[in-house]
Amino acid sequence: MILKANVTEALVSLYGAKQRSILALIGIVIGIASVIAMVSVGLIFQQETMKHFRELGTEVISLSTQSTGASGYGRESLSLTNSLLLPTRVPEILRVAPYVTGMSDAIIEGKKFSAPCLGVTEEFKSLTKLTVLQGRFISDLDEASYFCVLGANFVRKLAEAGITEPLGKSILFKDRVFTVIGLLAEVPQGLFRPYEINEGLTLPFQLALRITAESGARTVLARLRSEMDWRAAEQGVNAFLVENDLKIQVKVQSAEEIIAQMKKQMEMFTMLLAAIGSISLIVGGVGVMNVMLVSVTERKTEIGIRRAIGAQQSDVQTQFIIESLTLCCIGGLIGVLVGIGASYLLARFNAWDFFISWRAVGVGAGVSTLTGLFFGYYPARQAAKLNPIEALKG
Amino acid sequence: MLSLRDIRKSYKLGDAKIDILKGVDLDIAVGDLLAILGPSGCGKSTLMNILGLLDTPTAGQYLFDGDDVSNLTDVELSRRRNLKLGFVFQQFHLIPRLSALDNVALPLLYRGMHERERKEVAREMLLRVGMGERTKHKPKELSGGQQQRVAIARAIAGRPAVILADEPTGALDSNTSNEIMQLFKELNAQDKITLVLITHDPSIGAQCQRQVRMKDGAIQERT
Repeated sequence: MILKANVTEALVSLYGAKQRSILALIGIVIGIASVIAMVSVGLIFQQETMKHFRELGTEVISLSTQSTGASGYGRESLSLTNSLLLPTRVPEILRVAPYVTGMSDAIIEGKKFSAPCLGVTEEFKSLTKLTVLQGRFISDLDEASYFCVLGANFVRKLAEAGITEPLGKSILFKDRVFTVIGLLAEVPQGLFRPYEINEGLTLPFQLALRITAESGARTVLARLRSEMDWRAAEQGVNAFLVENDLKIQVKVQSAEEIIAQMKKQMEMFTMLLAAIGSISLIVGGVGVMNVMLVSVTERKTEIGIRRAIGAQQSDVQTQFIIESLTLCCIGGLIGVLVGIGASYLLARFNAWDFFISWRAVGVGAGVSTLTGLFFGYYPARQAAKLNPIEALKG
Repeated sequence: MLSLRDIRKSYKLGDAKIDILKGVDLDIAVGDLLAILGPSGCGKSTLMNILGLLDTPTAGQYLFDGDDVSNLTDVELSRRRNLKLGFVFQQFHLIPRLSALDNVALPLLYRGMHERERKEVAREMLLRVGMGERTKHKPKELSGGQQQRVAIARAIAGRPAVILADEPTGALDSNTSNEIMQLFKELNAQDKITLVLITHDPSIGAQCQRQVRMKDGAIQERT
């Protein structure tokens, strides 16, 4: 019952000093809001990244060629034939999709665009889970036919330039005329999906080699057989390369590995953000302490009266701590709402899936309570220690 | 019930020691209506603070209901102030944010009484001092005399044995003063509350059954 009376009194007293209370609140609100926003944006981003990986499946790996140093500088490439041999020679690997990338000008209906290109085999579509909106994807039967499939952003660019319905139209790319045979749906960018998918032209692998003057693929996407370890696959591929005296080594990146790395990074990132939030909370807390000290000084007479009519030191202390707690909890509540609002906007802006992180809300509630206790303690102690006679004199 | 023996109080002011009370002997019995008179600076407020357990004497013995006050902790002193004493001040000392009713109910909060009961008692007390109509008013919406009535209601809310009043009419005009004095006399006669009044006004003192005159930190004259 004393608690209820104290909370009521705290509200009345805080309301009585509106301006001061609001100023102190701002600090706390900003502190809590930033903690909440940062922690929850961190978590949302993490979730989003994971989602992309999960969508591709954790059994997808990427083999990238490494320079062995023996033949000068630059990365060596792996020929199509050798790439396609991998599933038969390395037991861990089920399927492969080598790709090659380049960049050139594309001219369509007399308009010029700068566009990247991507040379792929048919397998690429299922490995990176692409969806064809119109027409069809590159087929292995196309061999070196001048066909291309357009990425969603490239199609958008064309539309902005007034070129609609590009399916079936001709594109002049690197002095060769290509026929558009398909349009791709937009795919979220993940580490294993080269950005060329959305931005440019996807061509048959062999054609792309001619255009880019490459001798093979520097990156080969592969799907592991189920339950196979990516480390074993790396060893297997490298053993195969040595066997064939190819002077190339590959390094494997697995979704599993990247997720682990990313998790670690995100955790550090979240911690860092939380630390920044905590600093703003400390600043807010000092503001609360200041307000409480002013309040104690202003209400000296009141403290004297309370002591005279029988309040114990602990009663006075409790009253002021509850006042500071009330202030911080109101700030915390507003802060949580603002923080969630901010992370919602950020998530929407980035087209991420939004969710309320209860962990962040819990952190916010806990931290504001602790702030109230910690920064309210000293002023409350000062109030409790006042000599009643001195206090009554005001 | 209150017994002071050779009470002394001195303060240190730099190197100098200032003696405020220089050996006060005083006994206050249940039902007394006692006035402590004297010019300002004679030590009567200090005596009042000691009587009211807000201050402790430097030397001497003060028996409060048989307990030696010097042996009591702050918590024990607070309990006694809450249960046995009521204060009335010259400046009324009501809490400005709280309504008359909440002000009167406040001492009961520190006894752990429930809100509904607190308010019930407070309403009854306000009725008793003739302020039954103004329970919701804030102190600043009340006249001086009305504020003092509320303060008296607060002092009697806890049904104390003793009310200590420090210049209770000092800030009031003579008509209002008389009304307040009338109220005090009623409380003394009807409710058997012991009343200790501090005043420099001889006409107030004259209305009390016992008078003690102080000068220069000591009691000079008793009637």
